[in-house]
Amino acid sequence: MKLSAYFRKNLTLIIVLAVLSGLFIAAANGMESKDFVITLLRGLSVGSLTFLVASGFSLIFGLLDVLNLAHGTLFMIGAYIGWTVYVRPDTLVDLLTPLALLLSGFMLGDVWIALSNRILFGKRLKRILPWVGIFISALILFSVLKQYPIAIWKVANYAQSPVSISYLASQGQNILMPPVDMAGFSPLLGFAGLIAGSLLLAFCLAVMKAGKQAATICITWRNFSGFVVLLLAGILFFVFNNALTDFLANLNSNWLFLVAVLVAVASGIGLGALMETTLIRPLYIRPIYQLMLTLGLSAIGIEVVRAIWGRPEFTMPRPELFAGTGEGCPATSLADWWQYHCSTMLVMDGRIRVFNEILIPVIGIIVLVAVWMLLQRSRLGMVIRAGVQDREMVEALGINVRRVFTLVFALGVGLAALGGVLAAPSIGLSNLMGESFLLNALIALAIGGLTSYPGAALGSLLVGLLQQFIIKYGQIGIPIPFMDVIFKPSPPIVPASTILLMVIILLILPNGLLGKKE
Amino acid sequence: MANHKPFFALKPDRGMLIALLVFILLPFVIGLFDGASPAQVWMNGSGQSKFIQGLAIEIFILALYALSYDLIFGFTGLLSFGHSMFFAVGAYLTGILLKNFGFSLAATFGMIFVASILQALLFGMVLPRVKGITFALVTLGMASVFHVLVLSTELGKFTGSDVGLQGVVVPDFISPATERLRLYFITLTILVVVFMLYKRFVNSTTGRVCTAIRENEGRALMLGYNTFYFKLAALMLSSLTAALAGMMHSIYQPIVSPNVAGLGFTVTALLIILIGGVGTLNGAIIGAVAYRLLDYGLRRYIGESASFINGAVYVLIVLFLPFGIVGTWRMKSLQINQGWKRLLGMFTNSQDKSDGA
Amino acid sequence: MDYILDVQDIHTFIGQYHILQGVSVRVPRGSITALLGRNGAGKTTTLKSILGLTPPRQGKIMFEGNEIQGMLSFNIASLGIGFVPENRSIFRDLSVEENLKIAERKKGDYAGKKGFIFTLFPDLKRLINLSGINLSGGQQQMLAIARALVADNCLLLIDEPSEGLAPVLIEQLMKAIQQLSAYSTVVLVEQNFLVASQLAEYYVIIEEGRSVKEGKMKDLTNDKATIQHYLGAA
Repeated sequence: MKLSAYFRKNLTLIIVLAVLSGLFIAAANGMESKDFVITLLRGLSVGSLTFLVASGFSLIFGLLDVLNLAHGTLFMIGAYIGWTVYVRPDTLVDLLTPLALLLSGFMLGDVWIALSNRILFGKRLKRILPWVGIFISALILFSVLKQYPIAIWKVANYAQSPVSISYLASQGQNILMPPVDMAGFSPLLGFAGLIAGSLLLAFCLAVMKAGKQAATICITWRNFSGFVVLLLAGILFFVFNNALTDFLANLNSNWLFLVAVLVAVASGIGLGALMETTLIRPLYIRPIYQLMLTLGLSAIGIEVVRAIWGRPEFTMPRPELFAGTGEGCPATSLADWWQYHCSTMLVMDGRIRVFNEILIPVIGIIVLVAVWMLLQRSRLGMVIRAGVQDREMVEALGINVRRVFTLVFALGVGLAALGGVLAAPSIGLSNLMGESFLLNALIALAIGGLTSYPGAALGSLLVGLLQQFIIKYGQIGIPIPFMDVIFKPSPPIVPASTILLMVIILLILPNGLLGKKE
Repeated sequence: MANHKPFFALKPDRGMLIALLVFILLPFVIGLFDGASPAQVWMNGSGQSKFIQGLAIEIFILALYALSYDLIFGFTGLLSFGHSMFFAVGAYLTGILLKNFGFSLAATFGMIFVASILQALLFGMVLPRVKGITFALVTLGMASVFHVLVLSTELGKFTGSDVGLQGVVVPDFISPATERLRLYFITLTILVVVFMLYKRFVNSTTGRVCTAIRENEGRALMLGYNTFYFKLAALMLSSLTAALAGMMHSIYQPIVSPNVAGLGFTVTALLIILIGGVGTLNGAIIGAVAYRLLDYGLRRYIGESASFINGAVYVLIVLFLPFGIVGTWRMKSLQINQGWKRLLGMFTNSQDKSDGA
Repeated sequence: MDYILDVQDIHTFIGQYHILQGVSVRVPRGSITALLGRNGAGKTTTLKSILGLTPPRQGKIMFEGNEIQGMLSFNIASLGIGFVPENRSIFRDLSVEENLKIAERKKGDYAGKKGFIFTLFPDLKRLINLSGINLSGGQQQMLAIARALVADNCLLLIDEPSEGLAPVLIEQLMKAIQQLSAYSTVVLVEQNFLVASQLAEYYVIIEEGRSVKEGKMKDLTNDKATIQHYLGAA
């Protein structure tokens, strides 16, 4: 009884799903089983990467109502950061000290607020002084950072450009990491400049904000702990710079890859939190301008990436576990692969790449389940699900929705960065990878339902499969019945096919496959 | 108030009238800088002036295009991501009809008129089913299909696929090479006529219903308006204007790049009206000027990393001009007016009476 | 008298519209106070202004002797103010239990209050695993009030509890509100004058964004002219 009611209610959805699976079966029948398995796994792989972008995008859109068009760019930045950590760990280690010192001043947020409440400025002075301070601190920071010695590749010099470094690394050669030139830089002066600039900047920002929250804060030693920890960390990183670099450079490439993933995700989370608190937050009352802001940020991001890593495309070498080609390869089973670390594997006589077609889908599924558990089982997830529907009420219950917003934004960007760092060894790094994946994710979300989490997964899967099947059929051709013509879809049809699927599904089910009716 | 004559209805637009005057004199003034007398400019003798005219023609075309987007997005509240198709259909149809079929300009315009109505109907077809962001995505889909058609090799004979449409022979009397000043004034005239038409439209009952749809469609429906027809009307007018802009683009540019059919070009329209101010007609024009000059200046003087500054400018505009140039000006002008009144009040004591009660 | 909430001449704007143009409400501790007035007079906006959801631009709001205007909504709510909005705002995707649990401000709130809530609204116990989307209007209203009770709130703002409910349910709700007023102070917005007059001890009449009259409910029920003037037919 209940089942029949369910059928009647979701008749359109069921018919659409039936037609889709019919198409899928037809597509499977049209090719050899070996081709089919490969195409299926490739579809899963592209679908997983799309899902990592789409899920974060949909969480952000659902809760914050922000169409984050910079999401693709953040995906790309994740990939480039991952590459940096993996191929040039010395750059990462060199960056740690200035980063820690830069952040240290902001750890004193409460102290600054209390201090600025205590000091009474004139009204006009209060408006001008912070800007002057920010200007001075920017000047200090700029002059110090300009001299700060950081080992880095050179985009202009081909032999030292990321392209060559990647090539050397993929050949298994040790990359020469030249020691940094410390001439003309005195650590003490540099540190003092960084700390002073950071303190001044944090103080000025606090003064600007201080008028709005007149809370009395009592200052204990606890308020200083974050500052001290970061300060010590910065100095320790500097002292043990070489040791740390050596450690990372000699690390097994599997572990190094893990470090790269973690660093990329962490920087994604950090970037997301920074972006939400500083730029997106003032715009919740003007939603359409968020589009312009995120578009602008996306353009900036792409240019920054071009300036730092250069325009040419390159690939990140795969970790050793997925790179073997010698004896015993291609592997015939997972156990075989584990023994010989093969890069490829035979599945039903088809040769697949283990990293692309097995690891990425597995990670995609793990993330799917993990975020699903987070949404369904934790209190944070409960607040997110409630906030998607009615933000105001959640706030009226006494829950700090702003913090949840920041968390969700950071989480979403973190997921995108994870996608990026996984995409780097499989599809390579390019300036435009972000845009194409953003479009894919948007299509996937429209198909699955814009704010529905399972919808994001289903849509991404459909997009990935459809694209890969069309590509495959572009190679083998589709025989058209009753005619002697073999139709070969040309490359521009690949993106168009997913868009066409989206249009058809939206016209039948305006809220997507699993979206909720308004 | 009541005795205002219709002529004075233009009074709030004196800024636009000044702008019009500036644009009329611009080629000659630039010519003077170049050492060419107005007569020489008239004969298209000044290189500098010709160059500026070219830039201005591009701005007029962009302004037309942005106006058409403002009508459906800023006034009617339909977010479309497929707007570039309206423009691209005009551009490509003009080129193909002139080049491959030898149509006359008037016949081409007739075809474009028909085509733009048809594509507005195509977009209108999905209107009853999808709303809001879904409408945006469906229109994106339709425009992408057109983009793929333009790019496909099968139609390369007509469209030039990814190289772009080129080799269009434009009738001599508006040739951008030899008769640029005439083309300049023709484009300017079209812009002025369309602007006045739009002004009339948004202040008419139909236009007001469109604004009502943007604010609250349900309420407009309950007042007894079949909102579908109003949205369709706005779409048609918008489509026609955009196609006209595309036609001028095809006439002016030696090559029509397939990019004008892509999502990026829709985003350009969105950016222009966001810079100018959403839902203001002046904003579309001011935005077009700002956008094109910014883009040109940055590309000229900064070069490769121009889009970095471009992006930064967008971010700054969002943060410091919260409602676009015109929108923010209107908000502030209220404050400025109040300030003036307060200043006047200091000198005259008569305002006490009105305050007292 | 001891006032738990003292709203002093607040002015609230929504967009460019000046909605509240001077509303003062004083709520004695432990009482039920009804905000009365015609549709669109500004009663709901008054509640939202107290909670900071539509922050007032002018005026003072004192809660337990502290100024709370200008604070962020969630900070105000966590001082101990519960809100039952007009449209109930039940979270559709959450089960009834989750709808209650989300209102916890510290761990164990829900476990501690469970018994009290289910004696007030026995129906909810039966529905505990249903998702919010499947509840009827009356059940939603009960859940909305129950949700406001989970945390330790000494003040409840209840907006139009009787709207759109059958008379039987209204009676049940009135009983519940009466019972819970023993534990916390209640501010009630009510269109239905009969309901308001039976429940409330004090009243404030709001007319066109201004508070125009306040006093004891007993006096108002006898004052037919005032009722006629401000509230239309009673």
